[in-house]
Amino acid sequence: MASVMKTTRDVKGIGLSILRPDGPDKVTGQVQYVADLNPRGLLHAKLLRSPYAHAKIVRIDVSRARALPGVRAVLTAADIPVLKKKAPTRAHAVLAIDRVVFAGQPVAAVAADELAIAEEALDLIDVQYDVLPVAADPLESMKPGAPPVAELGTEADTSEALAHGSVAGVTTEAKSSKAVNISQQARLQRGDVAKGFAESDVVIENTYRVPMVHQGYLEPHAVLAQWDTAGNLTLWASTQGSFNTRSEVADVLELPENRIKVIPMECGGGFGGKIRALCEPITAVLARATGRPVRYVMTRREELEAGMPAPQVIIKMKTGVKRDGTLMALEAEAILESGAFSGAVLAVAGVFLASLYRWPSFDVQGFEVLTHKPSIAAYRAPVAPQTIFAIDSQMEQIAKAIGVDPVEFRLRHLQREGDKMANNQPWLSNGAVEVLTRLAEHPLWKKRAEWKASSKDGKLRGTGLSLGGWLGGLQPTGATVRLNPDGTLQVLTGQVDIAGTNIALAQIAATAYGVDIDKVKITTGDTDVAPMTGLSAGSKTTYTVGVAVMQAAENARNQTLEIAAKELEASVHDLEIDNDKVVVRGVPDKGITLASIGKKGNLYMSKVEPVLGTSHPAFSVQAPAFCGQLARVEVDPDTGEVTLHNFVVAQDVGKAINPLQIEGQMQGGAVQSLGMALTEALIYDDQARLTNPSLLDYRKLTSADLPSIETIIVEKPAPHGPFGARGVGEPPIVPAPAAIANAIEDATGVRLTHLPLSPERIALAIAAAS
Amino acid sequence: MAKQVLSFTVNDEPAEVLVQPWDTLLEALRERMGLTGPKEGCGTGDCGACTVHFDGKPIASCLLLAMQARGHTVRTIEGLGKPGALHPLQDAFIRHGVPQCGFCIPGVLMAAAALLTENPRPSEEEIRYGIAGNLCRCTGYTKMLAAITEAAGATAGRRS
Repeated sequence: MASVMKTTRDVKGIGLSILRPDGPDKVTGQVQYVADLNPRGLLHAKLLRSPYAHAKIVRIDVSRARALPGVRAVLTAADIPVLKKKAPTRAHAVLAIDRVVFAGQPVAAVAADELAIAEEALDLIDVQYDVLPVAADPLESMKPGAPPVAELGTEADTSEALAHGSVAGVTTEAKSSKAVNISQQARLQRGDVAKGFAESDVVIENTYRVPMVHQGYLEPHAVLAQWDTAGNLTLWASTQGSFNTRSEVADVLELPENRIKVIPMECGGGFGGKIRALCEPITAVLARATGRPVRYVMTRREELEAGMPAPQVIIKMKTGVKRDGTLMALEAEAILESGAFSGAVLAVAGVFLASLYRWPSFDVQGFEVLTHKPSIAAYRAPVAPQTIFAIDSQMEQIAKAIGVDPVEFRLRHLQREGDKMANNQPWLSNGAVEVLTRLAEHPLWKKRAEWKASSKDGKLRGTGLSLGGWLGGLQPTGATVRLNPDGTLQVLTGQVDIAGTNIALAQIAATAYGVDIDKVKITTGDTDVAPMTGLSAGSKTTYTVGVAVMQAAENARNQTLEIAAKELEASVHDLEIDNDKVVVRGVPDKGITLASIGKKGNLYMSKVEPVLGTSHPAFSVQAPAFCGQLARVEVDPDTGEVTLHNFVVAQDVGKAINPLQIEGQMQGGAVQSLGMALTEALIYDDQARLTNPSLLDYRKLTSADLPSIETIIVEKPAPHGPFGARGVGEPPIVPAPAAIANAIEDATGVRLTHLPLSPERIALAIAAAS
Repeated sequence: MAKQVLSFTVNDEPAEVLVQPWDTLLEALRERMGLTGPKEGCGTGDCGACTVHFDGKPIASCLLLAMQARGHTVRTIEGLGKPGALHPLQDAFIRHGVPQCGFCIPGVLMAAAALLTENPRPSEEEIRYGIAGNLCRCTGYTKMLAAITEAAGATAGRRS
């Protein structure tokens, strides 16, 4: 798969900015999302959610709700025998049994003829709670004696880490017996840290905090469930992985997987938040109870209060270096607040903290801590932005403290291919050095002194950059490529297209087979018909499914050539594909059309086998992908307001299969990163209730907050990627928090370590410093 | 409560539809009329995904009761342009590769179309504020700005 397929002519395939085929449907409102489906007999579902973060359910009375005309079902946990008290995952906690563990946890479910009736029914359900003490703060929650979150004996859930397939060699330990809410622990150590610090000239210590943030997809979670009379369930889902949704629903409801068909609808944004099952099981149960199709669409308030956000991450970090810049020791403690259910990618956090730069000694400890908040999930490069914020801020401060150029300092210590990561795995080929070098050559970086000196009207100007990345996920997958009777190609995968990957896969098929892209159609099939595949997550769709499609297309090409060889009585080695026909090299009039070969594969009594290229690879080699970001800012020291004047994203994509789609990923990822840096936070009160459950108060960046995002595509081929491609989606969300913090320090002299870098924080820090 | 008849003009056609008195205009369009182009992203007027034209002005259709539209004129994304006769903005959005997940796009296009009607030659700043009520989580707005800027030129050019 490392070999780049030699095409016989320069086909219209990889490397071109081909437009997505779904563009026309998307600009005319024709694309269908789950909430747009309206089958005959549709019922609408609503969930009654706990107003308390931690409470015992004493009694639930649903009799008045059941009596309301138009209500078709009202369910509590007592009506669903498969539910267990020790729910191992959030998906298993379909409805609370006798205790709620976060505000917004569902305790009852209603299906009714109209949404308004379902809403009215919720008001008629009477729940009596005994409110219990709340673990609202992770630092308190990890102490012995804190109010317990999980049921005793519940195992930690590390499947998210496995799903992202990111790190090997780190064992996360079971939780300690005393601290009831520590659900995972990990420790990575090398060398003698105490000696390292003793021999250091400059020791810098900071605590970095990144709050819980929401993935922010515009389409709230939605699902439509329907059963047939034979007991087969169909789910129309907004998911990043239809096979994963099928497995989770099958597990929760104790159904055979082949009884469930998941049809992935257009996904209105996922970013990690639509990997795990959430509302699918309860909707399926309501559909079974009523014998009708049931649609459930979460409100935005429910999304913010009871979605699956990114964890709060608190990192205490201490670094020691020699006056000449020699790295000596790194000590870090990372606390990942997971909410009410385990599932943080703790090992990834540990590896990122200690692996980017060449620390001869380090001691990194990680704790996953449960609190009475909604449980977390992945958010685009899970924990990479948070950990890179810490380590990159630290590198910048060290460079400043010893008076060296911050880019040269990073480049001097950056780990290279073959160097050992913190988990002792070697760094694989990557473009970190190339990305940082390209960014440092940018005029905005070279002219940073001029920009700073140009400060006027009491505003302060500064420039900052940061480098971060993602290790790249892996998961087995599959694809088929068929030759149609008219000579066109049909590509089938089960991969959900959440990022424009289908057009890239079609381009790969075109180039690998040897026809122009307009001859290729790609389909994402449902779980009944498509080859099994993994999540659209971990920046691995193009990297892994691209290989499957490439191999399936090569396989189809070989079958095609073999058939042509027989028909033309020529050697396979003398044949080439010239877009719509197979010709004998050097004999241009001796050939057979692809249509003719395709037709023979579908003729009555034909002895020619139909062309069906297949591939179902598994993978072992990741492709790390790095992104650097550069910010030019202006800060008003009185108000703390930051104006972003320019923002540049440089990223190693291995090989740009479709530059236009890649730019879109880089720009969108960068703005999510900037949101985390500047404005976004889920803010909870001391009873773990969300205080900002609307998009007015959960502040995402708008077009008016931003400049246009400049992109620089760097191509350092990934040895095992399809045509050298590496993952693209996640790296651009990583660097902005540190880049902005570095720029603010350049402008104001103030170092900020808590996100978001809000005007209030900035103004207070400036006031405190002066 | 009994349903009521809402008579109004939708996408240049007279329409009559039975709605509940508590239905929002967005619900009437989506659930009662099958016009699912406008999306519900928040239901509180903060995200702009439900933007439609109400007597030519952009509004959040999730904040208006359906019956308030009686006798008025509404245009949804379905009435902005059709395949083969796309609005210049739709055409520019396709060519610039703007839509990713696509969920915000109908609202952004309706906001941008209203902006260009009112101000055929907007500055970059005016475009940025013109769609500031429309949240997009995928694109970072950069390609949107380029597409609207280009379409503004195209629209103005066509008229002159």
